[in-house]
This record gives sequence, C-alpha cells and structure tokens, in this order.
Amino acid sequence: MIRFEKVTKAYPGHPHPALDNISVDVEKGEFVFLVGSSGSGKSTFLRLVLREYRPTSGRVYVAGKEINRLASWKVPRLRRDIGTVFQDFRLLPNKTVTENVAFALQVIGKSRKEIKDLVPETLELVGLSGKGDRMPDELSGGEQQRVAVARAFVNRPMILIADEPTGNLDPTTSVGIMKLLDRINRTGTTVVMATHDSGIVDQMRKRVIELENGHVVRDQAQGVYGHQT
Amino acid sequence: MQLRYVSSELGQGLRRNVSMHLAVVLTLFVSLTLVGVGVLFNQQASKAADHWGNQLQITVYLCRVNDSSAVCPNAVTDAQKTEIAAVVEDNPEVADYHFESSEQALGKARELYGDELFTGENPAITAEDMPQTLWITLQDPDEYEGITSAVQGLDGVSKVRDMREQVAPILESINMLQWVALGTAAFLVFAALLLVANTIRLAAFARRKEIGIMRLVGASTLYIALPFLLEALVTALIGVVLAGGALWGFMYFGIDELSANRLKFVPWIGWDEFWLAAGSVAILGPLLTLLPTLVLTRKYLKV
Repeated sequence: MIRFEKVTKAYPGHPHPALDNISVDVEKGEFVFLVGSSGSGKSTFLRLVLREYRPTSGRVYVAGKEINRLASWKVPRLRRDIGTVFQDFRLLPNKTVTENVAFALQVIGKSRKEIKDLVPETLELVGLSGKGDRMPDELSGGEQQRVAVARAFVNRPMILIADEPTGNLDPTTSVGIMKLLDRINRTGTTVVMATHDSGIVDQMRKRVIELENGHVVRDQAQGVYGHQT
Repeated sequence: MQLRYVSSELGQGLRRNVSMHLAVVLTLFVSLTLVGVGVLFNQQASKAADHWGNQLQITVYLCRVNDSSAVCPNAVTDAQKTEIAAVVEDNPEVADYHFESSEQALGKARELYGDELFTGENPAITAEDMPQTLWITLQDPDEYEGITSAVQGLDGVSKVRDMREQVAPILESINMLQWVALGTAAFLVFAALLLVANTIRLAAFARRKEIGIMRLVGASTLYIALPFLLEALVTALIGVVLAGGALWGFMYFGIDELSANRLKFVPWIGWDEFWLAAGSVAILGPLLTLLPTLVLTRKYLKV
C-alpha cells in the first residue's frame, strides 16, 4: 500500500537530509506506528505519502501510484484515497459537526444523497450520533478529534494518516481515539500513525518503525515505543 | 461539482471582503471608462482624419466682387480662370481638379447651416458673397507646397488653402485627448491589478483553513480556485457595466446631444464606435481580474 524505495528527502539550505536513503514497505490493512524524536523525519515521511513533497531521490509508491511521476493535477485524486488526522483537529469553527464531515465530501463533488447516507453512518461509527448539530467549540477535545477522524474516514479511504492524533488529549480520551483508529483499521484501512505517546504504542503492540536523523533504526512487528533489550 | 457550495462560498467571499471588492470595482470602473473614452477618441481621430485627409484637396479661392483681399482689385475674369487652369493642368503633382461656381458653393453652405441664412426677402448671404473656387486633388497630399506656390500670386487668385492645415489643430487635440485618456487609464489599470492581487491575498488568508482542508481531502485545484475566479468575474462585470453606462452617457450627452447638433462640420463618431469601445471594455475588464487571479491562485492554492 505504501512503499519507500531508497528514499532521500533533502530541504534546500539544510545540511542533512530529513530522510536519508530509507526503504519501507507497508502492506494493505496494516497498522503502523511511526516513532522518533522531533526532527527525526516522521512528518517528512507523512508528507511524502500525501505528495505534499516529492523525494529528492528514490521512489515512493502510494496506493499503487508512483508519486514521483504523478502529475500535479492527479494529486487530488490520490488524496481522496488518503484520510488525514492532525494533533490540532483542524475543524472549521463556523460549521456544525455534520457540516464539517460533509465538507470533505462536498468539495470532491459527492452527491447530496451520498452525503446524506455517509455522514450519519460515519458519525455513528465514531460515537457522535446525536451530536451532529453541535458546533466544534461545544465539544470536548476528544469529541473534536472524533469529528476529525470522521471527516478523514467518511470517504472510506484506503489509507489513514494520523499525525500525533492524541497529542492534545488526556490518556483516557487518547485510549478512546486509539480504539476508534483500531476499529477503522479492522475495516481494512491501512493506518500510519506518527506519535510520541509511548503508553499507547506499548499497549497496542502493532508494527513500530522508528526514525532517527532520517534513518530507519528499527522496524519491529508488535513492537513497543522504546528499544527492547 | 456542487453549485450550491460554490455559490454560497462566492456570496461569503464577496461579503467578507466587501471594502476591497468595492475598491476594485471603483478602480475598474474609472480605468475601464477611461480606456473606453480613449478608444472613442481614437475612433473620432481616425474618422476625422479619414474624412478630411482622404479628400487630399487644396482649395483655391478666386477673387470675387468687393473681395477683402488686397490682391483682388476685381472679380476673377474668364481669361484669368483659363490661365489658372493651364498652370494647374501642367503641374505634375495634380491628380485632378474642378471649378466650383458661386451658386454651387452657396448650395453647399445651405446644406451645412440650414436655409435660414439664405432665404427671405433680404438674405444674409447670397451667391455673390460666395467665391468661385478651384478644387485640386493631389497625387500625394504631402506634396502641396509646389502647387500652392505655383498658384499663389496668379491674377484672380484670392487665397490658397490646404484642407489639412485647417483640420490639423482639431486632429491634434483629439489625438492628445486620446493619449491623455489612455495614459491615465494605464496608471489606473495598474492600480486595479495591484488591488485585485491584494484582494486575492486577503481572501486566501481568510480562507486558509478551508483551503488547507480542501487540499487534504482531495478537492481539485479548479474547485478550490473557483470561488476566487467567480469573485473576480463578479467584480469585473460590475465594473464593466458601470463603465459601459458611463460611456453610454458620454456618447448620449457628450457626442449625440452637444457635439453632433452644434458642430455639424465635424464627422462625429456614432453608436457603432460606442459598441466597439464597450466591447473593448467588456473584454479588458474580466481579463484584468481573471488573469491575476489565475496566476495568484496557482501560487497560493498550490496542491
């Protein structure tokens, strides 16, 4: 589903590349934690998957497409196969929960009927039935992140990218979000999650890819956050 | 594509940034009006030049009875007319020539100024007041000096007048007005472009969150840019309509009512020329807003 082949990404003006000759293969339906300290290359990894950047060298394949060669006008179609969740939720404050989720479908031209079917179904999946008319500021942090997950998943993407989705949440709420991501993963969606939350990584026991200074220093099935001795 | 979404975004965009849009509309209105006026003056100048310049004629006024000119003690005689005709005939610069009688000149004057002066018991002007003339058409209108000096001074010639010398000041004035209008318009067009660019920058900043989400969920560049393009189009259309109205007013009150009724000897522009000016403004207006919008949305809304 995601394949990095000897990928290097260097930013102009930076002496060291953000990613340095890494090769990673993520299968369809996998749940992968991307761990590492700040500046280790996690965000660059996710941005390459989203084709916000092209690699400096090497090849990146996402959902069967080689993104190096993907024309700019084809990028929106690629992104419809990828859902994205961020630490800061990124909800539209002037839209209700339902409108926030529907927005993701509206802007890719889905019909009103599809939107009417998919949005309540997704809100139910994330546990927000009955809260569709609330505004984001009337919700708790955990609920806001559930709206963000609903918006990312409403189009049933093949891949879900989560960048520190529990970074702003307390441990109990974080567990709820992780259960939700796990449930989404069980529907066959590939989940790649960048995190600093060692408790969650240790608890979930999923594949862990650790990055350090742009290199993959660990790729472990059913791994934990820190190095196992 | 959901029209409802696009139209609601368009409405929001216009309301959110109403002062900037108003500034763009007003600048466009004034600059487009000046461009239109420039086009009208340009048409007026070429129409006048065509009318007067193409006649390529020199008019030789012959002495009449009681001529005020010092070189005319008496009215021109037939012998003098024959001699003048011989000089003209021999000149290689002359393409054609013909005599016009006092009666013919009177007829022309009546056409221009109406019957009032020429009829009644004691008319202000009679055929005797009108000089006989010799109309000379030149091979090359710029080569008028040779024939002028050849004819000037012959007995029976009162004065020689090159048509183009008479109309040159009028043509120069129209040309100058045209360049003043187009020059001022150029400055204002530049100001309009800067305003459009600023408006887009502000609008993109105000909508950065929506745009960010749209990019992430896979909205196409066209879909993201469409509200911006429509906003630009709406402001352009309002500017074009206002400028069209101002040009219509200029034609109706300025040309039709005042000039065409009072200064009949000038061949004035008509509604064909108005439509040409209005058409130029209608094309230029949307271009002025859509082109910078297309360039800047590519910059700010890059996927």
